[in-house]
Amino acid sequence: MTIAQATQIESEHVPGDKDVWVFVLGEMVIFSSYFFVYACLNRSVNEPVFAASRHHLNQTLALVNTLILLTSSLLIALSVQATRKRDYRVATRFVELGAGCGVLFLLLKGYEWYAKLSQGITLGTNAFFMHYFVMTGVHVLHVLIGLVFLAILRLELRTRAQPRVSLMEVGATYWHMVDFLWFLIFALLYLMR
Amino acid sequence: MSTLVSDVTAAPVEAVRNPKLDQWICWWSIPIFYNLFGLIFVYLGKLMPPPKPGLSQAEIIEFITSNKDSMQTAWVMLALTLGTASLSSGLIIEQMKRMKGVSHAFAYTYLTVLAVAALPGCLFCGIMFALAAFRPERDAELIVLLYDMGLLSFVGSLGCFVTQYMVFAFAIFLDQRRLFPRWLAYMSIWGLVTEFIAATIWTFRSGPYAWDGLISFYLGTVIFVLWEICLVVCLYKLIKHQPVEELHPAYGGAR
Repeated sequence: MTIAQATQIESEHVPGDKDVWVFVLGEMVIFSSYFFVYACLNRSVNEPVFAASRHHLNQTLALVNTLILLTSSLLIALSVQATRKRDYRVATRFVELGAGCGVLFLLLKGYEWYAKLSQGITLGTNAFFMHYFVMTGVHVLHVLIGLVFLAILRLELRTRAQPRVSLMEVGATYWHMVDFLWFLIFALLYLMR
Repeated sequence: MSTLVSDVTAAPVEAVRNPKLDQWICWWSIPIFYNLFGLIFVYLGKLMPPPKPGLSQAEIIEFITSNKDSMQTAWVMLALTLGTASLSSGLIIEQMKRMKGVSHAFAYTYLTVLAVAALPGCLFCGIMFALAAFRPERDAELIVLLYDMGLLSFVGSLGCFVTQYMVFAFAIFLDQRRLFPRWLAYMSIWGLVTEFIAATIWTFRSGPYAWDGLISFYLGTVIFVLWEICLVVCLYKLIKHQPVEELHPAYGGAR
């Protein structure tokens, strides 16, 4: 095989399998509908309420959480690379650290919710907090599903003599999607003026 | 006696004309049931799309009395036909039990969750509206209560279906025979997430998360319909390609 052929195969390779991409694209459509309802239907008619409510959110905490998820995504990407190089021990360690970041994200999110609830701010306070709790809640659900995916990857790396690279890529694709969705939620809820 | 038994088990395969007839009956029950379901809930029962949660007492009474006759027909039909849905559940677990490397416990869990979730998600709602439509002369406050109970139960109980989606996705991922495509498992995760969001309808009386909301009702319904169509197509292919040897011995199979 020539170098040109090898490069062509490399560039045509879609990570994971086609099924997970069907899933990711569908998730994008579902989340887009939340974002559309939030930004176009509700925010535009309640702008003063949304602007005032946004000030109650802890932007620093959200930024820290964003950095945690970005680090986590990097760790999972490194884990896929280590698996490709058949360095399974290192790959396992990266998956564990990536999942650890996911757990840390959940703990900080839990603290953020607790702080809101103890101030008397709930799902029913106003339209902004309705979107805040539902969107962050659905995202937390995705992080939990993602942690199940990562647990499966760890099991694959520890129990199989030849762990499947494609499975690692499926898990990593899902985890990157969770990261990407948080990025959008962070921008829409915490930053958009 | 022993000769008789061996004669029965050794019946030639060609003796059974259509060995998959039973499964095809179950499969055809699905389009029949959903057409009836549409007739009952959309056309006669007037519950899809759902009426508004924030209606006044007078508007609710008007809604029930003006649709009294069609609602009465709808709920009698529902009582008579709801059982048809069990045929599709039976077919799904029959196909799930063909999976390799997956415990039958998953199939039984699927069946049990569906049976339990259909009570608040379908039957309870029907009973509440039947009560209101057959006894419209009751106290107005009671009619309003029945209206609320019916619709809150109809949309608010969707969380009961979460385990069904979860166990189905797990089974598809674990199946070594890859009977169902993996994208159907991922679609089940979409279903799981949208059913979770339907829990918000208890809090909101208007907006995207109320029981007639853009997200809690319409998005959830679109995803459910899409998932159901894909499931029905997958089941069709599974029955069509199932080897006769896998069928019950009475139908010419070796199982």
